Amino acid sequence: MVLTDIKAGGKAKITNTEHVNVLVRRRLLDLGIMEGTEVSIKRILPFGGPFAVEAGGQWVGIRRSEAKLIQVSHP
Amino acid sequence: MIEIALAGNPNTGKTSLFNILTNSYEYVGNWSGVTVEKKVGMLNNKKGHLIDLPGIYSLNPLSRDEGVATRFLIEENFSMVLNIVDASQLERNLYLTIQLLEYGKPVVIGLNMVDVAKGRGIMVNEKKLSEKLQSPVLPIVARTGSGCKELAGLLTNEEQKNKPLYISYGQPLEQAMETLAAKMHGVENLPPKRWLALQFFEGNEVVHGLLKTMIPEAELQRIFTETEALVQSKEGAKSLSYHIRAIRAQYIKGVLDVSLQKGEEVTYTLTDRIDNIVTNKFLGIPIFILFMYLIFKLTFDWLGSPISDMLDAFLTGPLTDGLTSMLQAAGASAFIKAVILDGIVAGVGGVLVFVPQIMILFFLISFIEDSGYMARIAMVMDKTLESIGLNGKAFIPMIIGFGCNVPGIMAARTIEQPKERLLTIILTPLMSCSARLSVYSLFVGAFFTQNQALVVLSLYLLGIVIALTLAKIFSSTILKEESSMFVIELPPYRIPQWRTLMRNTWEKGKGFIKKAGTFIFGGSVIIWFLSYAGPGGLGVDMNKSFLALIGGVLAPLFEPIGFGSWQAGAALITGFLAKEVVVSTMNIIYVAPDLHTLQGIMANHFTSLSAYSFMAFLLLYVPCLATVAVIKKETGSAKWTWFSIIYALLIAYIVSLIIYQGGKLLGF
Ligand SMILES: Nc1nc2c(ncn2[C@@H]2O[C@H](COP(=O)(O)OP(=O)(O)OP(=O)(O)O)[C@@H](O)[C@H]2O)c(=O)[nH]1
Ligand SMILES: [Mg+2]
Repeated sequence: MVLTDIKAGGKAKITNTEHVNVLVRRRLLDLGIMEGTEVSIKRILPFGGPFAVEAGGQWVGIRRSEAKLIQVSHP
Repeated sequence: MIEIALAGNPNTGKTSLFNILTNSYEYVGNWSGVTVEKKVGMLNNKKGHLIDLPGIYSLNPLSRDEGVATRFLIEENFSMVLNIVDASQLERNLYLTIQLLEYGKPVVIGLNMVDVAKGRGIMVNEKKLSEKLQSPVLPIVARTGSGCKELAGLLTNEEQKNKPLYISYGQPLEQAMETLAAKMHGVENLPPKRWLALQFFEGNEVVHGLLKTMIPEAELQRIFTETEALVQSKEGAKSLSYHIRAIRAQYIKGVLDVSLQKGEEVTYTLTDRIDNIVTNKFLGIPIFILFMYLIFKLTFDWLGSPISDMLDAFLTGPLTDGLTSMLQAAGASAFIKAVILDGIVAGVGGVLVFVPQIMILFFLISFIEDSGYMARIAMVMDKTLESIGLNGKAFIPMIIGFGCNVPGIMAARTIEQPKERLLTIILTPLMSCSARLSVYSLFVGAFFTQNQALVVLSLYLLGIVIALTLAKIFSSTILKEESSMFVIELPPYRIPQWRTLMRNTWEKGKGFIKKAGTFIFGGSVIIWFLSYAGPGGLGVDMNKSFLALIGGVLAPLFEPIGFGSWQAGAALITGFLAKEVVVSTMNIIYVAPDLHTLQGIMANHFTSLSAYSFMAFLLLYVPCLATVAVIKKETGSAKWTWFSIIYALLIAYIVSLIIYQGGKLLGF
């Protein structure tokens, strides 16, 4: 399962971020989002726009194409 | 004098604190990446300097602004670090703190945003935290100033010494760090060697660069690969950087276990609700445009114009009368009177009239900046910007550019991708800045009295549309992208503080007034003189003056775009200095006693169509002198600087040609 399979308002636990672009992964790591982090999807913008996810009280916007590469499992 | 570095994660309130401790007015805003260069201030007790740095998550920089901060911390001399941590995001913030503590310089920790943490049910026991980290920790609220005095007291304590924090990273890595440290010699004033070695293994590029001056690159590479392989096999880690991160995370967990109490999970309900609207599926972009429209309505119709009119009445009435009688009484010659009244008062006063409108615009931009909306609009725009080779973050410099292009271009430092950053830098000048606003004000007052706000909004949108079109063209030709990236932190909304708003507005507006007092003052004298003198001597008919001669050279060129008069040519040449000088020049050239007369006279020289064409040309034609200088500084390239001047001229001409000729065809 990947992050984009989760609906707005849903929660998931990240299991793998290896396929994500290195720079993006670095940034997510900086923001405390990595394997094992529990995230919830806050908003999904239209027309293939970004996802806003929340982890530990921190909201982050990422592209849908990147979110597709983040593997997750049910929390 | 002691030097204290102010370091911490982005958007944690460093600059807010800096302003309190040094009594400064630096730029504060609610998104990550407000501060992009280091700022030095004198502590209120005059015992030391405080250095405000851009926010960083770790000491390994990804973007330009982060590079400024890490370079400072690694390369420069300072005696203490004031580390600001966000109490509501302690786990993530401590990651940097650990690295600073490992460095070994004295660290004082300012535990900021305790109000936010409290609101979310998070309680931090600062005594326990301080014990664990072996450094003073003080809870503060930088927004209100609470706790900041006590914090200031700790800063000039020269007794404080820190031993570098020691965390064991496991035998294989410890061994490798020792081996590497033993090879470092020949450079003075190095940071602690163990720290350098650790940062190197973590992948820190700045440290890598430093080590290269002592150890051959090939050897560094070899040590790195060997160590990584060893750590992978012995510790079962994915990579060195993961291993180091995992150990630190464990350490932080240990610290938080004793010092942090999480209450019930409280989410930001207000933020959620506002976001439901402003990042709504269909309404996101329309709402942004509506906001812009309201901004122009306020600046022009509702608030700005009436105040500007009052100011104009004062400047042209009592002030001019007073000056005239003073000059009369002092027995000034006709020449002096003309310099002062027709040159300086007309030129400087003509620009000052628009100060209220510009202040209102700055105020509204500051409001957007400090509310938290900035990051949202970047997210809403990302999809559009991605399709033209940029990313959502590029919109932030552009919005700041509406105030003034110079800080807008500086703000591009937070864009991680070098090509996207360059593209943003060369396109930001197309954003219509407040100086151009003064010219629009003059023209819309004369030609579009019914629809002032709408016409101005159309010019702003024109600038944006052209910037986006050019972005597409440039990114698919000369600036081909390797890979684009976009990750943005979305801060909680905050109701902007009155004090911050006033300070930010004043800081921005001050520049405009200063320019009026220096640059435009001098420029007005020169322009007036050029209009007063000619080949035939002094006091010639203005049509035979030097100014008319110079402007006349350009006039035929401007004929096809609707304003082939020497006056327009002369005004545009002077507009390169600063766009609002166009207003000064027009005031001088058309010898108008006040704004309304000037607008009346202009009606003889322009039609509505050519006025619109003129405004579009002025919007696009060249970045002003200060902007050109900052483009040069930020790109470090004469080639790109010239490029941004020349493409702008071409585009301006083409667009005005289309507007004017097209408009004529349509019968305007
Ligand atoms: N509620 C609350 N807000 C704060 C506090 N301190 C700062 N802020 C707000 O947080 C936002 C960021 O403040 P800045 O001082 O610009 O933060 P910074 O760390 O300098 O940010 P960068 O320069 O982007 O790294 C502003 O909107 C401040 O008003 C605080 O203690 N409590
Ligand atoms: Mg700052």
